[in-house]
Amino acid sequence: MGKVILEVKELTTKYITRFREDVYAVDHVSLKVEEGKSLGIAGESGCGKSTLALSLMGYYFPPLYYTSGDIIIDGRNISGMDPDDVRRSILGKEIAYIPQAAMNALNPTQKVIHFVEDVIQAHNPKATKKEIYELARERFHVLGLPEEVLHKYPVELSGGMKQRTVIAVSVILGPKVLIADEPSSALDVTSQKMVIKMLRGLMESGMIKSMIFITHELPLLYNVTDHIMVMYAGQIVEHGAAQEAVFDPLHPYAKGLMGSIIVPEEGLRGHKLTAIPGVPPNLKKPPSGCRFAERCKYVKPECKGAAVAIREASNGRTYRCIFTESELRETYQNGA
Amino acid sequence: MKGYRKYFTTKLVWFLTTFVFAFLLNFILPRLMPGDPVAVITQRVTQGMTSQSGAQAVYEQYAEQFGTNKPLWEQFARYMANVVRGDFGVSFSQYPRPVAQILGASIGWTIALQFPAIIVGWLIGNTLGALAAYLKGGFDKVVMPVSIFISNFPAFGMAVILLVVFGVNLRWFPTSGGYGFDLIPSASWGFVWSVIVHYQLPFWSVVLISIGGQAIGMRSMAIYELNADYVKYARFMGIKDWKIIGYVFRNAMLPQITGLALSIGTMVGGALVAEIIFSYPGLGYTILNGVIGQDYPLISAATLIITVMVLIANFAIEIIYGLIDPRIKAAQAD
Ligand SMILES: Nc1ncnc2c1ncn2[C@@H]1O[C@H](COP(=O)(O)OP(=O)(O)OP(=O)(O)O)[C@@H](O)[C@H]1O
Ligand SMILES: [Mg+2]
Repeated sequence: MGKVILEVKELTTKYITRFREDVYAVDHVSLKVEEGKSLGIAGESGCGKSTLALSLMGYYFPPLYYTSGDIIIDGRNISGMDPDDVRRSILGKEIAYIPQAAMNALNPTQKVIHFVEDVIQAHNPKATKKEIYELARERFHVLGLPEEVLHKYPVELSGGMKQRTVIAVSVILGPKVLIADEPSSALDVTSQKMVIKMLRGLMESGMIKSMIFITHELPLLYNVTDHIMVMYAGQIVEHGAAQEAVFDPLHPYAKGLMGSIIVPEEGLRGHKLTAIPGVPPNLKKPPSGCRFAERCKYVKPECKGAAVAIREASNGRTYRCIFTESELRETYQNGA
Repeated sequence: MKGYRKYFTTKLVWFLTTFVFAFLLNFILPRLMPGDPVAVITQRVTQGMTSQSGAQAVYEQYAEQFGTNKPLWEQFARYMANVVRGDFGVSFSQYPRPVAQILGASIGWTIALQFPAIIVGWLIGNTLGALAAYLKGGFDKVVMPVSIFISNFPAFGMAVILLVVFGVNLRWFPTSGGYGFDLIPSASWGFVWSVIVHYQLPFWSVVLISIGGQAIGMRSMAIYELNADYVKYARFMGIKDWKIIGYVFRNAMLPQITGLALSIGTMVGGALVAEIIFSYPGLGYTILNGVIGQDYPLISAATLIITVMVLIANFAIEIIYGLIDPRIKAAQAD
């Protein structure tokens, strides 16, 4: 087992809305990312993927608030740290986040190089423009981006180029963890492939130490990441090696997502997570028992009682269900 | 840069075309007004004269001098030749003063009144709008309604209120003229002081009127920019707030520059109300007198100056704006 770069223990965070209704968008989430490894997070829209990303960066600005749990980055516990300190000493440097709308992530009226200067000087005020330029040029070169991009305004770049520029800028300080939030969902297939290739390259060249990749297109995860976590209504419902989570899921939700899939790769593409009938619960008033019970094909009365704990299965996998691994396998065999 | 040159050329062609039409209209429109100004001058000069033929002779002499007895196209040719030389003819209503001299004396007053007032109004308005967007809460709740109220206020209403309150009731400032009527312009302290106190009411009436609209525009631009994705991303990369606010206000400010340049271009029109109400000796006040006296040469020349200013301001906005805002530049390149 490699060195643990990021460890999150029982993290719970909430949004406090204008009408004082709390939204527990991240509920007792635990995860680990080791050096050189990547973790994929999948789940349907609104399940809390982006909120989890912000939460584990320590980015607590209203309306998002920290409730409980630990966040340990490379041995340093940042939970409870002042958000302004987090911004100063963690963001961009220890953890970098590529936001969901990466296309619009750059200031349209600022040349790329000037933004790079601002990023680097925010963490290292002594860096000179010349040093920064040299570094940026070298990085862009390694990542296969033309040097001219540095002298352009973001409005002058194509969508795919903007996306790749944002990725390049995000890793300029060599963060330990890179979180890519649906980095490719708005792109065409060619650009998607380029982005994925670029992200893999970042890992291989050691520019980043680990990566979290958020998406709702599971096939992308299977191709890119070592581990996969499936989220449902703010909770983790399945967590394991990519191969097993995709092709042999235990949780009925994960099963439902992948159930119809026979052919890997091409057949997976386009299979969206919303294919399961029903809607997820309202996070303002989540059900006390299993959150998936309402939509589960195999629901039993006891599912709706007390909160369901995480269970461990073979190969270090975990899932959140009242049934044991063998019970689930049996049910799936009979039901299918 | 190739795209920008094309953009520049297109704008220049538009500028010149508009200019030619404006020049023509400037000449024709005042001459379409009913009435005969030469007859009015003749009447003034020949008052008490009994001989009908004598008056007729005077009339013809003036008609010859002003060229009003010639066909319109010939008048136009003469006018154009003179304008090129900076000669706008002789005023009808203030005969025999040359128009160029009358305008030269009043334009300085208008610029001295309007230019600082526009800049000050723009700066105050934009600062208030930006602060309202950034601070939100109580500050916003006060600034917004007041701005909306002021921006919908007619210009003459503002001038009259200032005049009544600070001029008539409180007697803090004089209510008319550019300086004390008993003074002769000179470089003395007494005269300068008189100019300063006479300046206040017209100045603030223009400033106050422009603040509201600028503040509203800036506020909505800034709110839009503050919620933009690049603001969040800059935060995610650990950039400090004051730097991000710099991005936001620069982006919000760029479109506001259009408003600034436009008000500078239309400054004469903007000054009209304040100058008339406070009898301020600027261009607006002069034009009013010109219209009353059916003074073709004066009106033509004054409107020509206004037209040229507006056109130049518009042209300058588009050229400068295209240069400083990459969003426009990129759109032009498409
Ligand atoms: N600013 C906010 N205030 C209140 N609730 C919020 C806020 N942002 C998100 N939420 C709620 O938190 C939940 C999780 O949202 P989040 O954006 O993390 O979902 P997501 O999994 O990233 O979805 P998507 O795939 O659409 O990006 C949702 O129910 C959402 O309504
Ligand atoms: Mg999201």
